[in-house]
Amino acid sequence: MEYIDSVIVENQIEITNAIDTVWVALCAALIFFMEGGFALLESGFVRSKNAMSIIAKVFIDIIFGGIIFYIVGFGIAYGSSNGWFAFDIGITENDLGLGLTVSNQLFWFIQLGFAVAAISIVSGALAERMKLWSYTILVLVFCGIMYPMVANWVWNPSGWLSVAGFNDFAGSAAVHAMGGFAALAAAIVLGPRLGKYQKNGKANSIPGHNIPLAAIGCFILWFGWFGFNPGSTLGAIGNWDLIGKVVTNTFLASAAGGISTMIYTQFKYGLIDITMVINGVLAGLVSITAGCNVVDANSAIIIGLVAGVLVDIAVQVIDSFKIDDPVGAIAVHGVNGFFGAIAVGLFATENGMLITGDSALFLVQLKGVSVIALFSFTFTYVVMQVIKKTTGVRISVEEERVGIDAASFGLESYSNFE
Amino acid sequence: MKKIEAIIRPSKLKAIQKGLKNIDIPCITVIPVSGTGIQKSYTKMYRGTEQSLALQNRTMIICVISDENLEKCVNTILEFGSEGEVGDGKIFIYDVQDAIRLSTKVRGDQAII
Repeated sequence: MEYIDSVIVENQIEITNAIDTVWVALCAALIFFMEGGFALLESGFVRSKNAMSIIAKVFIDIIFGGIIFYIVGFGIAYGSSNGWFAFDIGITENDLGLGLTVSNQLFWFIQLGFAVAAISIVSGALAERMKLWSYTILVLVFCGIMYPMVANWVWNPSGWLSVAGFNDFAGSAAVHAMGGFAALAAAIVLGPRLGKYQKNGKANSIPGHNIPLAAIGCFILWFGWFGFNPGSTLGAIGNWDLIGKVVTNTFLASAAGGISTMIYTQFKYGLIDITMVINGVLAGLVSITAGCNVVDANSAIIIGLVAGVLVDIAVQVIDSFKIDDPVGAIAVHGVNGFFGAIAVGLFATENGMLITGDSALFLVQLKGVSVIALFSFTFTYVVMQVIKKTTGVRISVEEERVGIDAASFGLESYSNFE
Repeated sequence: MKKIEAIIRPSKLKAIQKGLKNIDIPCITVIPVSGTGIQKSYTKMYRGTEQSLALQNRTMIICVISDENLEKCVNTILEFGSEGEVGDGKIFIYDVQDAIRLSTKVRGDQAII
């Protein structure tokens, strides 16, 4: 009898692990595909002479960022943490303390998707003017140390923010604010593209070369987000209810973001600006990422509506500071990642400040995301300054005029003959 | 033999092409071009910011015709291409030394019909 019981228990564990593995593997693949979305989005938003260089950057994000995240990143993020850092190397065999029902290897792979997504945010803001090998150094530092440290604080069960009750379900703060504020610092050190700001201080727009391409990128990111958010349940067994809630909230916020941007641009400029609607949808997605597990559907719509307006204003404000962000990465990911994290403190059904009047969670969220943003900004600023002093960050003026594709790859994205 | 370069609004291309075909001038070459004329206040907005020195999209029709077809051809382009507004475009007329059809190697007026 005892033998039969133990067989049944073993079978149940096996089935649970198998089902959860299918779910997490599926979501991990969806998240990984978001890189294709980043590549097309950023490529469409830059000029045709640099269309390939941005694709190269996303390749660097995945290949260099992915390998370094395997060698040291994952160990720093999910090894035995002292609250701020861990010193493991490679994919540890130990129990991570997360109650995982999937293997550590698969967990590493889904986390890799988050790490390369975070650095891909940065790549967009640096478009059209950064040296590729210098960018590679930034990628190695970011995916090897910076991002893993923040993941450690937020998601490692011993991380200081995790212990404090910080709720960042799929990474508004740890992935998006992290990437967005790194992008801000890097764009400041790098400086604007040639001709972006005139001598009299007036900003000059440099239109992207292929808006449909950027839109396809947005659709791919949108699609991938349905792995990004619900996949963060890290298992399907016992989570079927939560997964439905997360998926619904994710969609509602993104659609609301698109709506408010569409209306905003119609009234502000007299025209619907689809390039901004692309950003508005993504802003909605970014802002619901932290709280999609704890807010209700109405709050998700409100969060999305706010995000869609916030991104429009942020693009203008960032531009007015002469910080050149060709794709709007700072406005979408930095500003809305920050907003998404504090929105949890405002709208969480059980302990949000606007719902229950209790400010405890709000303060934790505000503190957590502020520290992350400050850390990300400062660390990136220092790293970029060091790279600037050693190998240099800017391509030559001549290269910038001709375009990185022709100058660095000897090949243009669109050749006119054959 | 004359060469015509007509810069027109892209939206007028189909009407002009049809008009030219109706007067037996079927051979045209078309290039998308961008440029700026005498209109002064043209600006493009992109993501809430003005683009300085913006260029407008136009279409250039190139056709080589015999001398006697010249006025017919020009009138057709004027008829179907003009709105009477700034920004309609321009027609340039050049003398052509010779023309050769690659398939039959014939020269002169025979080559352009």
